[in-house]
Amino acid sequence: MIDLINLSKHFGNIKAVDILNLSVSSGELFGFIGPNGAGKTTTIQMIGGLLAPTEGSVIIDGIDMAKEPEKAKKKIGLIPDRPFLYEKLTGMEFLKFTADLYEVSEEAFLENTEKILNMFSLIDRAHELIESYSHGMKQRLIMSAALLHEPLLIVVDEPMVGLDPRGIKMVKNLFRSLVAKGTTIFMSTHTLRLAEDVCDRIGIINNGKLIATGTINELKHTAQIGEADLEEVFFQLTEEEISL
Amino acid sequence: MKQAAILLNPRLLSFRNKGFAKDRSIRLIIFAGIGISFWAGIFAICYRVLMYFQRVEGIGNILAYKLLSMVLLIFFSLLIFSSILTSLSNLYMSKDLTLVHSLPVPGEKIFLAKWIESTIDSSWMVVVYAIPVFISYGIVFKAGPFFYIDIALTLFPLCIIASALSSIMVLLIVIILPASRIRSVFVFLCLVLVVILYMTFRLLRPERLVNPENFASLLSYLNNLSAPSYPLLPSTWAFDSLKAALIGDASCSLFNVALSMSCAAFLIFSSILIARAIYFKGFSKSQASMARPFQHKKERLDKLFSFLSGPTKSFVVKEIKTFLRDQAQWSQIFLIGALIVIYTYNFSVLPIEQSPIKSVYLQNLLSFLNVALAAFVLISVTARFAFPSISIEGSSFWIVRSAPIPLRTFLWIKFFIYLFPLLILSEILIVVTNLLLNVTPFMMYLSIITLFFLTPGVVSLGIGLGAAYPDFNSENPAHTVTGFGGLVFMIISAAYIGAVIVLEAGPVYTIFMSGIRNENLSYFQLLWIIGSFFTAFLISMLAIILPMRFGEKRLMRGFFR
Ligand SMILES: Nc1ncnc2c1ncn2[C@@H]1O[C@H](COP(=O)(O)OP(=O)(O)OP(=O)(O)O)[C@@H](O)[C@H]1O
Ligand SMILES: [Mg+2]
Repeated sequence: MIDLINLSKHFGNIKAVDILNLSVSSGELFGFIGPNGAGKTTTIQMIGGLLAPTEGSVIIDGIDMAKEPEKAKKKIGLIPDRPFLYEKLTGMEFLKFTADLYEVSEEAFLENTEKILNMFSLIDRAHELIESYSHGMKQRLIMSAALLHEPLLIVVDEPMVGLDPRGIKMVKNLFRSLVAKGTTIFMSTHTLRLAEDVCDRIGIINNGKLIATGTINELKHTAQIGEADLEEVFFQLTEEEISL
Repeated sequence: MKQAAILLNPRLLSFRNKGFAKDRSIRLIIFAGIGISFWAGIFAICYRVLMYFQRVEGIGNILAYKLLSMVLLIFFSLLIFSSILTSLSNLYMSKDLTLVHSLPVPGEKIFLAKWIESTIDSSWMVVVYAIPVFISYGIVFKAGPFFYIDIALTLFPLCIIASALSSIMVLLIVIILPASRIRSVFVFLCLVLVVILYMTFRLLRPERLVNPENFASLLSYLNNLSAPSYPLLPSTWAFDSLKAALIGDASCSLFNVALSMSCAAFLIFSSILIARAIYFKGFSKSQASMARPFQHKKERLDKLFSFLSGPTKSFVVKEIKTFLRDQAQWSQIFLIGALIVIYTYNFSVLPIEQSPIKSVYLQNLLSFLNVALAAFVLISVTARFAFPSISIEGSSFWIVRSAPIPLRTFLWIKFFIYLFPLLILSEILIVVTNLLLNVTPFMMYLSIITLFFLTPGVVSLGIGLGAAYPDFNSENPAHTVTGFGGLVFMIISAAYIGAVIVLEAGPVYTIFMSGIRNENLSYFQLLWIIGSFFTAFLISMLAIILPMRFGEKRLMRGFFR
């Protein structure tokens, strides 16, 4: 579903992402972890088409993001790390906006919004201006909007920031059920427990380079730790990289 | 005071950090060049007018003084006008306020810091452009050095008084108005500003200066001119002080300075006292946004635009709703309204009927001048609304970038959203003023057609250059037009409009003249006329297409570094 080929992004002298090669197959929940400034957000922005790579290419479901961006973007539901929205619209209006943008039919819109707003407990506040929403509510609204057009691929940057425990649990279940239905999810996170709980496969990025990928067990094997959890694997692998 | 100074620091620092950027120096030079030529222009005009007055036997000085008092009155109203807008945005709407109010600093200190900031913001430009006027007075009246010191001594308290009065007004209005909606504050302020505008016009009675014939005799005209001004207006104190300094009466001059200074000091302390009592309260109130539900009028816009494709419709609807709900835009709309009122007012008082030279030539000239003026209004409206419309997307611009529509479509959507209202506005403007001017039917049609092509060109320049030089982190996107891109926009639009008018004016003159002389146009003339109009048309087409392309390219590059 996602193919990143020699993906690189340079900001001046900083190599935010450095020759990254990665494939995520359909129906997989891929976790992307790494220290602050490792290049997670930059990678996600390139996958979402917000940023053009300095080198390399992003292929979404066989479509090259550089060649047919509109077609590729249509398959993606993007959830960025910070919830900047059109503050002067109401929640419902923003959902309508997204629906029109992705050409969701009127019937599907009516059916889906009801369901999604209920799921994210936004139904009571849907007709208020977004500027009056709390941080977590905005985050929920962005998620609702990203799910509205039933994308094949969901790309999400630190999904749990600002969500309450109930929200976190709901999102976890939601992700698992979406993946079970065949949706692909690419998720960056700092919450290692979350990655361990829900991800099929995990990639660790440090200083713009992908230093390891695999299931939890494979990673443990790479880090040569027997009975450790992901946290220790993470420290081990990123530490090694730094001491190199 | 010290705490207030610390609060002002971040602004100074960010100004300094900006100053180190490389390409800034070029911009600075361009800005300075344009600024200085404006300045010199004002000086030259003022100097010539005063020299002319000097040559008028007997009443020359009276005219010059009358002009000075008018200038000071306009100056004072301009100061109040701009302080009200800046203090409202600095005190209640600027983005750093939530941070600042969380600091361990009392409310009146924050007020003081913000007040100093807005005093400087609102008055520096007015002061800079008023100075050449006063200097020309000094030179023409051969005043001593005391006069030049007195300029500073009078302008300083005048700015303070204007700014303090405005901030007191703003403090009170925000507290008094019941709703937690700043929009009503704006509606109220608009009323206040209309009153100020009206009063300035009434106090000035400019038509009397222009039309001495209206007075039964020269005596009553003179009486009227030298009638005492209003003794309680701060601008009168400034006038009395400057006039005394011009004649060399230092003690009278200083007395009036003292009067202004004490009034300024009194107003500063009152405003601080008032701020202590109500500033924070008002601020918290203004922070509560409209939490009321909106559902009643839902879907109406959706239906209206249902003929558009999904993505286009979504942006059109969003754009219109956002615009209507953004209070910051309201003050702008008001400013534009004021501009247009002044513009048409000028035409209604113009004594064209009495004009001695009633030639075709003059009529022709006036109607082209009218097109130019209407285009000027068009440029300023575009600069205020269309130009910042890309920057205004701000942090939510990621939505556009991740959306499955090309950037080009997005820019053209913006173009059409601003084109229709602006086209209607400029056509109404030109038709109304042309009717007031009594132009020939030919000129009426020509102006209507000209503006029909000029408007899309100017809007395209606004959107295109706004996209080429965006500022997504701006605290106040409407101000992006004061930056480099805005400058480029103004210069190119002015050049574009100038070129089109020149290309049209020549042929029109030839047509008129041949009509008067009852001659037929020669083939060469015909060719030239057609060529000229065609070139104007061609320039307009280029003005519509090229800026949008340029904007798209630059905007792409911006993201895809
Ligand atoms: N617009 C930009 N201009 C310059 N450098 C940037 C820009 N965006 C990111 N960087 C740099 O790229 C690197 C990677 O940043 P990125 O935001 O991708 O990290 P991240 O893994 O998401 O970190 P975090 O966990 O803190 O969110 C950092 O060194 C950062 O400074
Ligand atoms: Mg990040």
